[in-house]
Amino acid sequence: MPSGRFTPFETLLLTSRSQADTAGLLLLAWVMASRGPLTEAQRRQLTSLASECRHGHELTPIFDLANRQDFDAIQLAAEVMQKDRGGEQAYPFLRQAIALSVIDGEPSIAQHHVLRFLADLLGVIPSLFATLYAEQAGRPYAVPEDPSRRDYWLAKEHQRQREEARQQEQDERRREQEARERQEEALRRQREREARERQEEALRRQRERREQEARERERQRQEQARRERAQQDQERARQERARQERHNADQNRRWQQASPNDPRAHRALAVLGLPPGANRAEIRKAYRRMAQTHHPDRFYAQGEARMATASQRFQRIKNAYEYLMRAS
Amino acid sequence: MRDLYQRLGLPNDASDKEIQRAIEACQHNALKADAEVVLGDPERREAYDALHVTLRDIGLLRARLGLTHGPFWQDNTANDFSLPPDNTGARHDLLIARVERAVGLHNGWRKWRAPWLLAVLLTGATLLGAAAGAALYHYWLL
Repeated sequence: MPSGRFTPFETLLLTSRSQADTAGLLLLAWVMASRGPLTEAQRRQLTSLASECRHGHELTPIFDLANRQDFDAIQLAAEVMQKDRGGEQAYPFLRQAIALSVIDGEPSIAQHHVLRFLADLLGVIPSLFATLYAEQAGRPYAVPEDPSRRDYWLAKEHQRQREEARQQEQDERRREQEARERQEEALRRQREREARERQEEALRRQRERREQEARERERQRQEQARRERAQQDQERARQERARQERHNADQNRRWQQASPNDPRAHRALAVLGLPPGANRAEIRKAYRRMAQTHHPDRFYAQGEARMATASQRFQRIKNAYEYLMRAS
Repeated sequence: MRDLYQRLGLPNDASDKEIQRAIEACQHNALKADAEVVLGDPERREAYDALHVTLRDIGLLRARLGLTHGPFWQDNTANDFSLPPDNTGARHDLLIARVERAVGLHNGWRKWRAPWLLAVLLTGATLLGAAAGAALYHYWLL
């Protein structure tokens, strides 16, 4: 005579719409929990798998049972599966179990034994199981290792050491890489700074040149204005002279007569390339010619140095001309 | 996997000292070397014990489900963890029996509820009437 209450899993099975689905879910959770307690991600995976089943109840009791590895519940689930899901019906279930066990890398040894038990339970022969495994895991099925052997632990230790060595090597390489990157970064920054300085220097020079040109143009404009004024003065002077000439017809004013002993006038005339005693018309003509020859704009294409010297020459010529014009 | 505890003649929850003594007394050199490496280190022993429990469970499950000769249950594992077939502990049969008993109780209650209720009511009414008659009789007489 059976005694005692219904266990939680029995109640769950009785209220389930599909006993085989409920039992299958418990066995899948058991496969996952054989590696360690169920994580949140594993619970989510099982929940998404369960959405295709027809059990119609909460999954939390199943997770609890799997975490506890409740032996009676697992045995009952195995019996239900053996009755309801033998033969070809077992393939989808086994595929799911294999997929869940390889999802976090190589299955643990406990998971291997659980999977082998499930294959035996559902009557799947080893060659068929190996095929299913290869399909799901993407690598051939390997017989689980034996931790009761010395070789297993020695190999594991060896592998751990190799891992550590590789890790150290990687760290070393990463540090070197970082150092190199820092160096390159510093170099790059320096180069950028230099480039920026060069650029600023060029900008400054350009600005200076523009200012100089502006000054030059301003000077030319002033010069032009002065020349016009001088012309007007000259015009007036000529009229005056004409008036005077009417009184004094044979008078021919010359430099050497006006200021025969002025050394500065001599130098000014030399600058314009004239012999002492040149008259105003000759001076103007010489000035026009010299100004055309030595104007700084003519040397624009030949660099700043040439332009600067031309500018100095032009200035001297202009000064000489202005002096001569003023003095006369 | 072999059951090292069984081969050394130890209980599964043996202390470190007992294990040490058993290993020293062991005559089989290969088993001695393996046991020293596996059970001598606490970390390894823990991992081994976890797998040991799982395999014992699986051995018991196989014995109860009639899978002691499955193709995936061979070699050392099968030798050390197999149990004799055990047909008495089928959980599904137990569940069916419990459900049958529960169904019988339920149906019986449903079936007999009306007559029982009638009988209980009649008895209650009779008792009440008797008590009232006795009270009246005393009142009139005394």
